[in-house]
Amino acid sequence: MDVKQGIHKSKGGLIRSFVTTENGKIKEINISGDFFLFPEEALFKIVQELKGTKAERKEVERKIAEIYDLENIQSPGTLPSDFTESIMKALEG
Amino acid sequence: MEEWRFIDFRLVDIRDMMAMDEAILKSDEGNTFFFWTPKKSIILGFFQKADIELDIPKCKDYTITRRISGGGIAFSDERCRQINYGVVGTIDNELFPMDIIGSYKQICGVLIDTLLHYKLNAAFRPINDVVVDNKKISGNAQTRWEGKLLQNGTLLLDFDIEEMLRISNIPKEKFLDKKIASVREGLTWLDRELGEQRDMEEIKNVIKEKFEERFHVGLKSGTLSEKEKELTNTLSPKYYSHEWVYR
Repeated sequence: MDVKQGIHKSKGGLIRSFVTTENGKIKEINISGDFFLFPEEALFKIVQELKGTKAERKEVERKIAEIYDLENIQSPGTLPSDFTESIMKALEG
Repeated sequence: MEEWRFIDFRLVDIRDMMAMDEAILKSDEGNTFFFWTPKKSIILGFFQKADIELDIPKCKDYTITRRISGGGIAFSDERCRQINYGVVGTIDNELFPMDIIGSYKQICGVLIDTLLHYKLNAAFRPINDVVVDNKKISGNAQTRWEGKLLQNGTLLLDFDIEEMLRISNIPKEKFLDKKIASVREGLTWLDRELGEQRDMEEIKNVIKEKFEERFHVGLKSGTLSEKEKELTNTLSPKYYSHEWVYR
C-alpha cells in the first residue's frame, strides 16, 4: 500500500506525516519532525490513538485534542490543528 | 553567593555525552552547567526519524544518536569547532521559568550576552534560536523531568554548511516562512562573524562569566557523582543501540 506524505510547518517546527489508509480509516501512521512536545512520550499515544480513526479532518483533530487534554501536552508553537494539517495533507495528497 | 556545579567534558563521543546528559537530569546533584564539544556526529531530535531526516548512506563516517529532547538535528563536522552546553536546573519560576519559551529565553540570554560581549547584534528568536543579524548561530533544545529542566544547545564557531546539506534531507518548506532564500543565508558562526578564529577556551570563559552574572551564582568545577556515573552506565547502551537511533 502507498504511504502518503504530508508536510506542514508550525511555528514550533516541521511536522512530517506518513499515512496509509484502509476503508476510509487511518491504518498506519508515522510522524517525524523537529518540533517540541512535552511529555515527549505522549506523541506515541497520539500516533497509537490515530490508528483506526476516520480519515477526516474533524475526527483527526478531535482525537489529537483529546490526547492533548488527557496527557497535559505542551508543545510551544505547535497546536493540535498543526498535526491535523500535516496529516490531512498526507491524506489529501 | 550560591554555588552551582560546573563541568567541562571537552571533546566527547556524543553517545557517552547524551548518557551523561540524561544522568545529570535524572540524578539529584543540584543545578549544573556543563560544556562539551562533540566529535564528528549527528544527534537526532526525539521526534525525528533517521531515514527521513538523513541521507543514511552518506552518513557512514558519522556517529549517530538521538537525544531525549525534541527539536532538529545537531550536526557536528570534523572541524569540531562548536561549544555545546547543558543546563540542569530546578524550575523555580525565577531563574528557571515554568513557561517554556520564557525559560529558553532566560538560558539563551547567556549566549546573547556572550555574543554582545563580542559586539555582535545578537537576539533571541522564539522558540529556541539565538541569531546574529537574524542568522541562526545557536540552536537549543529543552526537556523537563520531575520539576527540573535540561537544556542543551550549541554555539557554532565554525560550520561546514555544504557537508550538512550533503548528509541531510532538508525540505525547503522548513525555511520558507522565515523569508530566507536558502539555508546558506539562514545560518552563521562566530569565526565568520568576527573574521578571525578566537580561542575556544577564551570563549568558554566568557560564557561562564555571563552565566554567573545572569544567574547570580558562582560556578564551581566539579565532576559526576558516583550515582550519576552508575546511571550513565545504565543509560549508555540505549544511546549506542540501533533500536533507539533508527526507531
